[in-house]
Amino acid sequence: MKARDALQLAFSAVRSQRQRSLLTALGIAVGIAAVVWLLSLGTGLQIFVRQEFTQFGTNLLAITPGKTETFGVSGAIVNSVRPLVLDDALALRRLPYARATLPWVTGNGAVEAHGRTRRTAVYGVGRSMPEVWQFAVMSGTFLPDDDGAAPRAFAVLGHKVWRELFGGDSALGAAVRIGGDRFRVVGVMQPKGQFLGIDLDDAVYVPVERGLQLFDREGLMEIDLLFGAEGVGDEVAVAARELLLRRHGREDFTVTAQQQMLDVLGSVMSVLTLGVAALGSISLLVGGVGILTILTIAIGERTAEIGLLRALGATQRQVRLLFLGEAAALAALGGAAGLLFGVGGAQLVHALLPALPVATTPFHAVLALTVAVAIGLLAGTAPAMRAARLDPIEALRTE
Amino acid sequence: MRAADQFAFAVQSLLATRMRTLLILLAMAIGTAGVVLLTWLGESGRRYVVEQFSALGTNLVIVFPGRTETVGGAPPLLGETARDLTLDDALALQRSEAVRRLAPVIVGNVALSHGSRERDATVLGSTADLMTVRHLELGSGVFLPAGDPRRGGAECVLGPTLRRELFGAAPALGEWVRLGDRRFRVVGVLSSAGRSLGTDLDEMVVIPVASAQALFDTAGLFRILVEATDRDAVARCVADTERIMQQRHEGELDVTVVTQEAVLSTFDGILRALTLAVAGIAAISLVVAGILIMNVMVVAVTQRRAEIGLLKALGAGAPTIRAVFLWEALLLAAAGAGTGLLLAEAVSRIAANAAPALTSGTPPWAALAALVVALTIGVGFGVAPARRAARLDPVQALARH
Amino acid sequence: MIELRSVQREFHVGGQTVHALRDVDLDIARGDYVALMGPSGSGKSTLLNVLGLLDRPTAGHYRLAGEDVTSFDDRQQAEVRRRRIGFVFQSFHLVPRLSTAQNVALPLLLAEVSRKERSRRVQAQLLAFGLADRAAHRPDELSGGQRQRVAIARATVTRPELLLADEPTGNLDRKTGDEVVKVLEALHHDGLTLVIVTHDPDLGARAHRRLRMQDGRIVADDRRAR
Repeated sequence: MKARDALQLAFSAVRSQRQRSLLTALGIAVGIAAVVWLLSLGTGLQIFVRQEFTQFGTNLLAITPGKTETFGVSGAIVNSVRPLVLDDALALRRLPYARATLPWVTGNGAVEAHGRTRRTAVYGVGRSMPEVWQFAVMSGTFLPDDDGAAPRAFAVLGHKVWRELFGGDSALGAAVRIGGDRFRVVGVMQPKGQFLGIDLDDAVYVPVERGLQLFDREGLMEIDLLFGAEGVGDEVAVAARELLLRRHGREDFTVTAQQQMLDVLGSVMSVLTLGVAALGSISLLVGGVGILTILTIAIGERTAEIGLLRALGATQRQVRLLFLGEAAALAALGGAAGLLFGVGGAQLVHALLPALPVATTPFHAVLALTVAVAIGLLAGTAPAMRAARLDPIEALRTE
Repeated sequence: MRAADQFAFAVQSLLATRMRTLLILLAMAIGTAGVVLLTWLGESGRRYVVEQFSALGTNLVIVFPGRTETVGGAPPLLGETARDLTLDDALALQRSEAVRRLAPVIVGNVALSHGSRERDATVLGSTADLMTVRHLELGSGVFLPAGDPRRGGAECVLGPTLRRELFGAAPALGEWVRLGDRRFRVVGVLSSAGRSLGTDLDEMVVIPVASAQALFDTAGLFRILVEATDRDAVARCVADTERIMQQRHEGELDVTVVTQEAVLSTFDGILRALTLAVAGIAAISLVVAGILIMNVMVVAVTQRRAEIGLLKALGAGAPTIRAVFLWEALLLAAAGAGTGLLLAEAVSRIAANAAPALTSGTPPWAALAALVVALTIGVGFGVAPARRAARLDPVQALARH
Repeated sequence: MIELRSVQREFHVGGQTVHALRDVDLDIARGDYVALMGPSGSGKSTLLNVLGLLDRPTAGHYRLAGEDVTSFDDRQQAEVRRRRIGFVFQSFHLVPRLSTAQNVALPLLLAEVSRKERSRRVQAQLLAFGLADRAAHRPDELSGGQRQRVAIARATVTRPELLLADEPTGNLDRKTGDEVVKVLEALHHDGLTLVIVTHDPDLGARAHRRLRMQDGRIVADDRRAR
């Protein structure tokens, strides 16, 4: 029997028992829909997080004081004997491929202007912040390039702070008090949004030396290094590490490449997504049992039919393939329907929560259909083999 | 037909079609076991986290320097503040009657060395009360001495891993170690507490808070850990703390005061929600099992047309026929769920033997919920076929034979 | 006992209307032994189904022992079928997975008789119909004659007043058929009203009254005293 004919026969058998086939396919559809839905949401979440990170550009190294293996912040907030200093940042700037370095500290402080006070984040940053953090000034200018240890007391306001304290009026040239000290506003930043919960607009930016003074620190919290496109992340990281090792004498710092963080995050999220999708697979397993059950019943009912086929000259293999084909057809139908439901469901979530992207990749679709058919074939194996092994005479005798 | 007879009739017809009954039981069992096991895992995890967190201390109130503008927002975990939390602030807090004891904390990273061996260590600068507040246990020696915390001493207490790495088998008590550029004498060694929510206590060294201030050249405290007198005093403790700090900081409330309870319940809530979500996803499989029940019942109705026609001819009313089929669906669902529950219970016990962090036995409410869901599924997916059976025309049903 | 007045039964099959019963008037007295005869399609089976409350007439009335059962709802009709009418079919219609005893017990299950009472009555029936040694056998382990006897035992276990048989010997050989007829006649002798649908003239000849049907009407009604 030609494959096409066999397939047609399989589909006609499925069609003839419409309700039963529909319900069986529905079982698989529900399982596939659940898995596709979860995969779509998970992938969407991955994209979301990736977008959050890469808004800073990917050619970034982060150097923090203290040795920490974890993706944590302990080095930055705890004290260490040998801190990262501004001279370290200057030295790093001289590395090949390094385009800019950004030393910074941050803390919490009260900002006063116009009689209004607001507690906000205060960032002491180097002048290259707009370049390194890809963050532009909306009005005025950024902090000037003051060489020497005593930069002028200028400040740049984050967009939200500006709105809250100045209500839309021009802030340029205005005097503000930050943490009790006086500063003059020279610029206001564009709105940038949030990064994993940290609001960059609810902040003020002062020269890093001033920041160190304000928080009474000797050491920086972090030095970000932006390297040119020609640089390879790993090489630059190695170079930075060696330089600092020479300067500090020991490895009391941590160098993290943006890409590294992304990779770690990516794999963590992948594992989570897969884990969650695996949950949906329980449903697929049950769906498979469903196909097995229905096929077992069907073969019991169609014993005479099978006997007839064999009497007419069908081989065991052909009978087996016939029933496997039916199982696969049922599963494929269910898989296709499930794919549609899953994608539809994901889109629905996106419509309700526009902030959450969803993504169903072609890979998901292929995976769904392949898994569905695989389940069908697996579930159908035992019944198909039983059908093939029926004794034709006994089968025909059954009435 | 009496209920007991309906039941027996249903059991018999299920037994007659053994294969399909078994397969349906399998389907329900898989679904039920999946849901219950996932719930069990979630509960174990939640319980573990809550236990770990509770072990940190009793009736704890934690003071963070800094405050965010948004009400109820997380305290600023990163960064400095313009105004430090000082040792004097900590001492002032003791004025509150709701405070039983407290411990100021400074944290830092430093190289710890003894002789030729050196290692990075996390330094905790605190007072004698830290041991009680944080439920620490000494393996040997004593903890930091009591006394005026403003006077730093040269005592230190090692975590067991540090002790092992720096001293090996040699005695550590009374020996001198180097922290950065200062020397400290080991007065005690902590007993192994293992990991507590991510921080490895075994790799810490505790020194007097004033010495830590000198070591790191900073006056600001990292946190102040406050132990309230009892559960009911916690709220008062929070209020007093805020009031005192505000007074001391010229009317500005620039600290965040958090209770252990609050953090616990947040965790608790999140983990519960996660468990439910995960179980919910797994529960989809129960719906699939229900679809199978419906499917097979519909097939059965078709196959047993003659039997149904006969029953009607013998005088069975529609309610009786419906009841018989509903019993079958119900039995399938309930027996399947029961099997799944037993399976899940067995797995959880075996696993708990191997990994003590897991609770032995599945949560009883999960078992109850699973049964309720199973019965709902049985009835829900059995209703349509049962009604179809009851509606069969006896003449036509009997005619086809 | 049975009064049929102006009974009609129409079926709608594939766009056409089939008049299975046209304007049937019939009286059957208690204790009658009636044979319903006629060519296939004459409506005799339909008439039997109406008598047994398995089928509802499209028009007309059916009074059973003075009550107008056509106006009964499904529940009430089921009750009547349970207690007062017994059915015997050509293809026996035994439940394949139940044993002989369990098959005979079915009507008692439906009548919510207690387990002990059920057991007693079933035993009595099995003895009366010579099936005591076949009590645990399944239908596929019985001969045709035995199966029909089980069916008759089942049909009479609730002591109905009326026994309706649709071609009871149709699937049996001559000899076995004769035995079954003797069993039915013995029941009639004990007071049961017996109505048998048959195309077998010999069987018809044994009845006390023959109703001949054609095209949905009763065209002949002749009695023979016995």
